Amino acid sequence: MIELAVEDLYLSYGANPVLNGVSLQLQRGEVVSLLGASGSGKTTLLRAVAGLELPSRGRITMGERVLFDGATRTEMPVEQRDLGIVFQSYALWPHKTVEENIGYPLKLRKVGAHERRERVQRILGQLGMGGLGKRYPGELSGGQQQRVAIGRALVYNPPVLLLDEPLSNLDAKLREEARAFLRELILRLGLSAILVTHDQAEAMAISDRILLLNEGRIEQQGTPQQMYASPATRYCAEFLGSNNRIEGRISAIDGSDAALQAAGCSIRGVANGALQEGQPAVAIVRVERIRLRSTPAPNSVSLPVSASMYLGDKWEYVFRQPGGAEADGFALRAYGSEAQVPQPCYLELPRESVWIFPA
Amino acid sequence: MTRPGRLSVSRVVVVALTALAIYAPLAFIVVQSFLSEPFFLPDKELGLSAFRFVFADPDFHDALRDGFLLAGGLVVIAVPLGAMLAFLISRTDLPGRRWIEPLILIPVFVSPMVLGFGYVVAAGPVGFFSTWAHDLLGFVPWNIYSLPAIIVIAGLTHVPYAYLYISSALRSLGSDVEEAARTVGATPLQVMTAVSLPMVRPALSYASVLLFFLGLEVFGLMLVLGDPEGHLVLSTYLYKLTNKLGIPSYHLMAAVAMVLIAFTIPLVMLQRHLLRSAGRYATVKGKVARARVLPLGRWRVLAGAVVALWLFVAIVVPLAGVVLRAFVTHWGIGVSLADVLSVRAFHTVFEQATLMRAIVNSILIGVIGGAFTVACYTAIALAMHRKPDRVTQFLDYSVLIPRAVPGLLAGLAFLWVFLFVPMWLDRSLDDGWLSVLPAADWLRDHAIEPLRDLRSTIFSVWLAYSVVWMAYGLRLISTTLLQVAPELEEAARSAGAKPATVRRGITVPLARYGLIGSWLLMFLIFEREYSTGVYLLTPGTETIGSMLVSLWATGAIDIVAALSFINILLVVIGMGVALRFGVKLHD
Repeated sequence: MIELAVEDLYLSYGANPVLNGVSLQLQRGEVVSLLGASGSGKTTLLRAVAGLELPSRGRITMGERVLFDGATRTEMPVEQRDLGIVFQSYALWPHKTVEENIGYPLKLRKVGAHERRERVQRILGQLGMGGLGKRYPGELSGGQQQRVAIGRALVYNPPVLLLDEPLSNLDAKLREEARAFLRELILRLGLSAILVTHDQAEAMAISDRILLLNEGRIEQQGTPQQMYASPATRYCAEFLGSNNRIEGRISAIDGSDAALQAAGCSIRGVANGALQEGQPAVAIVRVERIRLRSTPAPNSVSLPVSASMYLGDKWEYVFRQPGGAEADGFALRAYGSEAQVPQPCYLELPRESVWIFPA
Repeated sequence: MTRPGRLSVSRVVVVALTALAIYAPLAFIVVQSFLSEPFFLPDKELGLSAFRFVFADPDFHDALRDGFLLAGGLVVIAVPLGAMLAFLISRTDLPGRRWIEPLILIPVFVSPMVLGFGYVVAAGPVGFFSTWAHDLLGFVPWNIYSLPAIIVIAGLTHVPYAYLYISSALRSLGSDVEEAARTVGATPLQVMTAVSLPMVRPALSYASVLLFFLGLEVFGLMLVLGDPEGHLVLSTYLYKLTNKLGIPSYHLMAAVAMVLIAFTIPLVMLQRHLLRSAGRYATVKGKVARARVLPLGRWRVLAGAVVALWLFVAIVVPLAGVVLRAFVTHWGIGVSLADVLSVRAFHTVFEQATLMRAIVNSILIGVIGGAFTVACYTAIALAMHRKPDRVTQFLDYSVLIPRAVPGLLAGLAFLWVFLFVPMWLDRSLDDGWLSVLPAADWLRDHAIEPLRDLRSTIFSVWLAYSVVWMAYGLRLISTTLLQVAPELEEAARSAGAKPATVRRGITVPLARYGLIGSWLLMFLIFEREYSTGVYLLTPGTETIGSMLVSLWATGAIDIVAALSFINILLVVIGMGVALRFGVKLHD
């Protein structure tokens, strides 16, 4: 069942277009991430759904209710949309205690004082902050403030929860804990949610589906696994993961396969998009897909190592063609478990992990 | 900054002159209040007789009571209205909010004397609006001379002061906290009462104290509107004392001044304290983002009507009154507007030397005096600039003191300085301790006279104006100077520049646009000023402001109207230039 639908939404700030025809559907009990670089329009899309920005065209509906319709110029005021929003800055009211912050939406809904207190306590319990109700936001840590913001957005059981970069204000260590907390909470309460983030790991960890936005359009959407393992466009392939990029020309096409002739090597891979022989193209290979071998293997290149970096759980190596200038020389990155690479060293690029796109 | 500022010669001179300009007049008020007679009479003695006389006067008690009623009424009327106006204009889709903003500033820059006069000719017993109302209804439904009406008028014309502080606090308040309230279901009205206004509580309490303080200082409005029914406040009571005993009763005026200052100094210190704590509060604000304005929906028309009504009563009525009255020969019941239109009053103004001198002086003191004032304030601000030591602390508190002394009193104190200092020097050179100087007689002949003559030059008025507005002007200028990043000054120092070279070569040039803006603001304030010049008024020191006060007493309505019109014109030109060049007219 579709909880929320956005159809062909357009929005601009003055002459500057931000959203160029975005559509999305949110099923009940589903979490969708809006992922994109800064300026891709992801926060604007969320704010438009909330009613905090005014689109110029398109339609937003929630079940039977029309939140916005550009054709009939109808716009439902923010306060009547009944959505729960967690702001990036949390936007807690500093002059109200935690209980008052969470209880205020109930007060607006004319919930009696007794029931209000009970529901606030229940939410605080679910968030694991039972004893902190009398504190002011300024007396809480970042993680606790975030939980209060979530509690305030959940307390009146909105059908859809909107989260704007909910983890970006936390420091790295806390962020991982909060990520796990958020995913568990969403599953436990069966929430439908839209999450805006620029952090792919966060998007993949929390959501059932990812929408990748690029310049106000949806570049690709799918499950985290689909998005990561089989990107449809070069932008998507490069946006996710940690990548090697090899530039060259197409030397041969064979069904779904293509061969790329680059400086000093020839690589076979999966052809994506319309490719022709002799056309400039680019191959994308995830860093973790490259295997290091001491004997020649199919689809491999041999390069001297130029740097090794210890990352804690693994090593990262940079291989670089000798002689070429640092900046434009052909280089590849790979992971391994040893300080030293095997000698001699061949880098195997498994054919199915090399995606070739038009340049 | 860890290094204490060095005491250079120039800094010592600036600090000493500033302290002299602030404390000398104040000392006169204090000493005079404890004398039994004006200081120039020979048989004066120390004592509390002046206070005894004043405290026994029933008029004084009435003035004290009415003064507090007025101040309290100002807070009750202006703060809620100012807060509402600030919210509507900075946060909502109120119709016409773009052009309302500059209009709101008009009562701040138009002299209260002019406003008060405007109310008399527009809504007094035979004012324009009153006669029109009389024609329509058969009676006049208001009496602007009653105390409640005066309080309402003063309250409405002081709304902009509350508005300015509350709106600047609202503007720096993150919009996300308001959006959060909206998304959980609050209507715009609920957002205002539950989130926006509680979050700017420091600004609200600051505005309340400021309004109470301004209420105690009201002079022009009360002088004009309170006179017909004999309502007095402390400042008008003091003004009326001038001739109460036939001779200048300086000792009684000083005693009243002491009472007034006893109330205003704590209020000024309280304002300073609140302003500081408001700054601290600013750290727990939300994120400032570009936000859509709140749609008022069905409240839009009602809110627009309330604002329009306020604009009409506080701005249109008095200004229309002044403008109309300036262009008619006379006015009364049964007079038709078309029959009496004329520019005769302006001919009269241009023919009289004193009035022309007043206009020229007003322009000079605004343009040239304003520039000199900014230069002096800049010198003082530089003496305090990024030098957190005891000297700065001393100046910091000292410049607040003139703020607590109403302009009328400051003018009086400066009059005493200009009268007494030459007199004292003369006597001292004749047979006092200065007579031991070798050139004593020559000095008596050649230095005392020019010193006496200073009083009848515009310099005396300029000095009084500059001291009265020191706290205000210094805040403008030190804010401007603090906008120059400290690294820029430090870079110049480490490149080998001496502190004075850094000030001359880096700080002042970088702050020049702010300084020019301050000049415009000082022009506007000096055009508006009227009470400070009242006691300094002699041939040669006329300004439009002080002439209005003195002409009002003689009942020369035509000329008062014409001068008021010229005054408004100067203010409007100044505001127009300021808005054209994007000068911030408030903080």
